[in-house]
Amino acid sequence: MTPLHAQILSVGSANPPRSYAQQSIPDLFGVDDPRIKALFAAGHIEKRHLYLPEPTANGPTPESQSELIEKHKRGALEMGVQAIEKALDGASLSPQNIDYFCCITTSGFLCPGLTAILMKHMGFREDCSRADIVGMGCNAALNGLNPVSSWAQANPGKNALMACIEVNSAAYVFDTSLRTAIVNSLFGDGSAAIVIRATPDDCAIGPRIHGFNSHIIPPAIDAMRFDWDSDAGKWSFFLDRDIPYVVGAHAEHPVNRLLKAHNLHLRDINHWLVHSGGKKVIDAIKYNLGLTAHDVRHTTRILREYGNISSASVLFSYESLVAEGKTRKGDWGVMMTMGPGSTIETALLRW
Amino acid sequence: MTHDTLNFEIRDGVAFIRLNRPGGNCINVQMVADLTDVCDQLEDGEGVSHVVLQGADGTFSKGVDFSDFHPSKPMDIHGFNKWEKICRRLERLPMTTVAMVDGPAIGGGFQLLLTCDLRLATARSSFQMPEVHMGFLPGMATFRLAKYIGLGRAKRLMLTAETIDAQAALDLGIIDRIDSPEAALAWANEALGPKHSVAVELARRLLNESFSDSWEDAIGHFLAAQHRSISQTAFLDTLKERKD
Repeated sequence: MTPLHAQILSVGSANPPRSYAQQSIPDLFGVDDPRIKALFAAGHIEKRHLYLPEPTANGPTPESQSELIEKHKRGALEMGVQAIEKALDGASLSPQNIDYFCCITTSGFLCPGLTAILMKHMGFREDCSRADIVGMGCNAALNGLNPVSSWAQANPGKNALMACIEVNSAAYVFDTSLRTAIVNSLFGDGSAAIVIRATPDDCAIGPRIHGFNSHIIPPAIDAMRFDWDSDAGKWSFFLDRDIPYVVGAHAEHPVNRLLKAHNLHLRDINHWLVHSGGKKVIDAIKYNLGLTAHDVRHTTRILREYGNISSASVLFSYESLVAEGKTRKGDWGVMMTMGPGSTIETALLRW
Repeated sequence: MTHDTLNFEIRDGVAFIRLNRPGGNCINVQMVADLTDVCDQLEDGEGVSHVVLQGADGTFSKGVDFSDFHPSKPMDIHGFNKWEKICRRLERLPMTTVAMVDGPAIGGGFQLLLTCDLRLATARSSFQMPEVHMGFLPGMATFRLAKYIGLGRAKRLMLTAETIDAQAALDLGIIDRIDSPEAALAWANEALGPKHSVAVELARRLLNESFSDSWEDAIGHFLAAQHRSISQTAFLDTLKERKD
């Protein structure tokens, strides 16, 4: 008997209320270093939504680590509720209808986790199962989607909710180094949620999830990581210069395995939803997999308008594809995310 | 699998696609389907160093088969889209492509040879794009031709429907060499050298994109492509040979 694949029923997203034009940020925060200003002048990101402190003439108002943790919790609650409400509305559901809830974040550590905080705030049922995936990075939407869709498949008719909530501005360190400038010029804040269910009826328009394939690159374990900056008293994210190309060089492995397992070829894939990691990694994926600018149009648009929103990025691209309204029954799609490990995660979708 | 409109065979690592329909190897719906199947086989297979595209019986192709069209029925753009998709797939095959023209290459036949990396012809070959004089458009040759020969010359060929001979096509840069099929293909096989598929595919893609990319985009694309190239065994073997 053909397994009843879980289906994405709806998607919702949210961002902080304030957005910043990318080129205005160095001036707002008194940055004069031409090397850093050049990072913000590159055209692939035009604006980002951020929870930033009010700038002063002397630069940004300093935020302590405890203030950053508080900002993560406050922002996650604000954006998380908004994205979840949109996703639930799209599936005509309320928090009371959710049977399994998974939250994903890398931009802050909370205990109790985001699921518990949001369940209390939004009024979920007390018997709703939950899981928090914390610290897995930009790839984590698919590390979450894999068990969430398996849960949905094992519990036909029951509703699962997955939310990726990233307050990356709660992981910013402001100093004069290129290391922090690269991070501060790339990441944005945002959240996205999807509702997933495995039901035999085919009334919903979303794709069914047919499989996953992962690929980890152990020699590149240190290429993307949080370090404790004892001078600043904060976590500081590090991105290796060459990791986009290393990830690109490995991209064909999980994709080929994923497609081969389903007797598919690259030419059979109608829709590509690749993580908006940055211009270099998008280029590397394009030229290693032979994808066109059109194939990654949602990925590049999300990067341009929101920056890298870590685990939420790929769901923003999915929302953009849905809004475009060009998917047809029978189409195949591949979701692909990349992040610390270094790792590449893929998922196969069918409309 | 046999095809109704073409012969496809692989000899000594070279794939030969020979358009073969009575009355001028005209392009119809079945030929698009057959070319699609050939592209599937070429993309999925291994061991093909390059592809030769040619026509049977002293004609490359006389273009679209108008018997697929009926004046009394609504015109369908979908067929044109399918044609352009197969042209694009031929243009992006993961191996070098060579058009060997012998005889007329008219309309869609002319369009087809523009998708190939090398374009060779016999002295008796001729080239024409008559579509505009017939009230329609010569496909995405509107996109490709000017890149080979410049805007002014492309306008002249498309708007006058002028027929040019092989020497004129060579002078314009539409073809690379005039010779007998045997001699021209032997030259191509020699000239194309070791045919590293990744480097070929990426060099061709960057060249095709060079007309539309900004330098800022192109440098990013180049670095991604170069990283892929230098990670391949072909380049590592070259380095080893230089050391030996």
